[in-house]
Amino acid sequence: MSEEDGEIRSIDEINEKIKHGDAVVLTAEEMIKLVESSGLEVAAKEVDVVTSGTFGAMCSSGAFLNFGHSDPPIKMARCWLNDVPVYKGLAAVDGYLGASSMSETKGFEYGGGHVIEDLVSGRDILLRAESYGTDCYPRRHIETAITIDDLNQAMLVNPRNCYQKYDAATNSSDRVLYTYMGTLLPNYGNITFSGAGQLNPLCKDPNYETIGFGTKIFLGGGKGYIIGEGTQHNPTSGYGTLMVKGDLKQMNSRYLRGASFHRYGTTLYVGVGIPIPIINMRVARTAALKDDEIYVDIRDYGAAVRPDLRPVIKRVSYAELRSGKVTIGDRDIPSSSLSSYKMAREIAETIKKWILEGTFFLTRPIEPLPKHGRTKPLKVKGRELRVGDIMSRNVITAKPSDDIKEVAARLVERGIDHLPVVDEDGKLAGIVTSWDLARAIAQDKRRLEEIMTRKVIVAFENESIDVVVRRMAQHNISGVPVVDRKNNVVGILTTDDVSRKIVGGRTAQ
Amino acid sequence: MRVKLIYSHSVVEKPILASIVLKTGIPINILEARINAQKGELIISIPASGEKLEEILNLFRESGVQVQEFIETLRIDWDKCIACGACISPCPTRALRFREDWKLEFIEEKCVACGICVAACPVKAINMP
Repeated sequence: MSEEDGEIRSIDEINEKIKHGDAVVLTAEEMIKLVESSGLEVAAKEVDVVTSGTFGAMCSSGAFLNFGHSDPPIKMARCWLNDVPVYKGLAAVDGYLGASSMSETKGFEYGGGHVIEDLVSGRDILLRAESYGTDCYPRRHIETAITIDDLNQAMLVNPRNCYQKYDAATNSSDRVLYTYMGTLLPNYGNITFSGAGQLNPLCKDPNYETIGFGTKIFLGGGKGYIIGEGTQHNPTSGYGTLMVKGDLKQMNSRYLRGASFHRYGTTLYVGVGIPIPIINMRVARTAALKDDEIYVDIRDYGAAVRPDLRPVIKRVSYAELRSGKVTIGDRDIPSSSLSSYKMAREIAETIKKWILEGTFFLTRPIEPLPKHGRTKPLKVKGRELRVGDIMSRNVITAKPSDDIKEVAARLVERGIDHLPVVDEDGKLAGIVTSWDLARAIAQDKRRLEEIMTRKVIVAFENESIDVVVRRMAQHNISGVPVVDRKNNVVGILTTDDVSRKIVGGRTAQ
Repeated sequence: MRVKLIYSHSVVEKPILASIVLKTGIPINILEARINAQKGELIISIPASGEKLEEILNLFRESGVQVQEFIETLRIDWDKCIACGACISPCPTRALRFREDWKLEFIEEKCVACGICVAACPVKAINMP
């Protein structure tokens, strides 16, 4: 027992005060100011509840929907709402609509998140379903328009919301990346981050003393509940998450917004807010944590690797991120958020208002959130196909001083399109393709060094085929020299090799 | 004042902008440039107004360069905007920023209509007319 454990007030006492209109409720920002002006002791004594909020893109969100039975009835095997696929591995007319499920006709522009927003806005939604027909459910096809009022249940159940905090993103590569962390400019051109920091619910009670299973919360403009820890809950590293549930019919589309990240996919912006009862000194202290005390890593999305292996560029506070620029080395790099601080503030204000009006009471969790545990990566069993498995090792190369016409003859003879150019030490110096040679001959050029591409896109032997195929597609090229760490050419990989030697992820005989 | 200059192939190789800078002494800033042997498009910012600005614009016109003044760059649907900030750090000219109250603010004079923010906006609140 430390001094901080001593109870200042119980949740029952707070609810009693709410009933009588006597509760003292501050938003997290107001609590910070009060602690700064009057000290923690005074603030802890005066304040009953601190309200928090966040409004960000939360892909692991979705809704369970019950459509009701038609006559004749159907066991919906496949189902779409506005052309967005609904998960149908449930009973006949139950479905789960995921936020990142994308429209089969509009793709990136419209997805499950947008359908949820449209449902909550009361708009007409096109329901389409197919089945194979059974004795009890003979109908095989249905197409009709529905609104949220037609549904028996529309329950928002989000397996992972409300990250305690989230690592920021930047990009060391030489091209623009479009990610779930937004647009990342090349050469560390910008930094994006997510989360409301000092307003973020789990940051206000990072020891999970008041937040747990059964806690009543603000969810999407209505009242919802925490139903457990979220997926990828990672409390040991300070990256806790929540699983939440609420009645979609009571929600407000101001706090549930369909969104799409360019060339990434669709998602849902979810508004979540949690009231923190100030039950002891430790909770009072954490409820007053400021942006400059909450740290995350800035990770480099330029490396196409597992999220936890993305190189850490700098550890940084939310205060620095929110200031609009972060200093890395001798450069000031512009930073901006992806989640809305303005809306987070509005959500914290809204819960405060509900409590002061006496329409929102606090709940004591029936079970605490797990306080320990980490997220594991997926171990892939069996060997991954690597560049070295399918590249051609018998590489024909040329020298910078070679005559273009002779080289062209060699290409025709061997039936190849890509020719790495190496210097006297066997190091890669450039590349020419049959197209380059055709043009060079037309323009009457002589030596390879006059026309070769010097900035060569390469691959390494141990790289995954998928990563290199994507690299070729991005640079609009059909082959890459494979080099070792000393830049010696050890092979060549072409799109031809990939299509000819790989069938369904396996090497063909 | 921001303007777009359109060079046809007959004038694209002449050092028109440099000559005008030397002649008028006004440090014209190039915000964006797309030039090849056939034609060129520059977006420039001229730190001048009134007669001086007119003089500079006329010098470009006399040299055979087509001058387009920027009337409107972006259209932001403020009802749709959720003030998330996803458009702010990708903007190359710092034309988007937060106000004190964390609402988004658009500084039109800085905008070069590159369109990065249009793609960056997750709720499609930004359009280029």
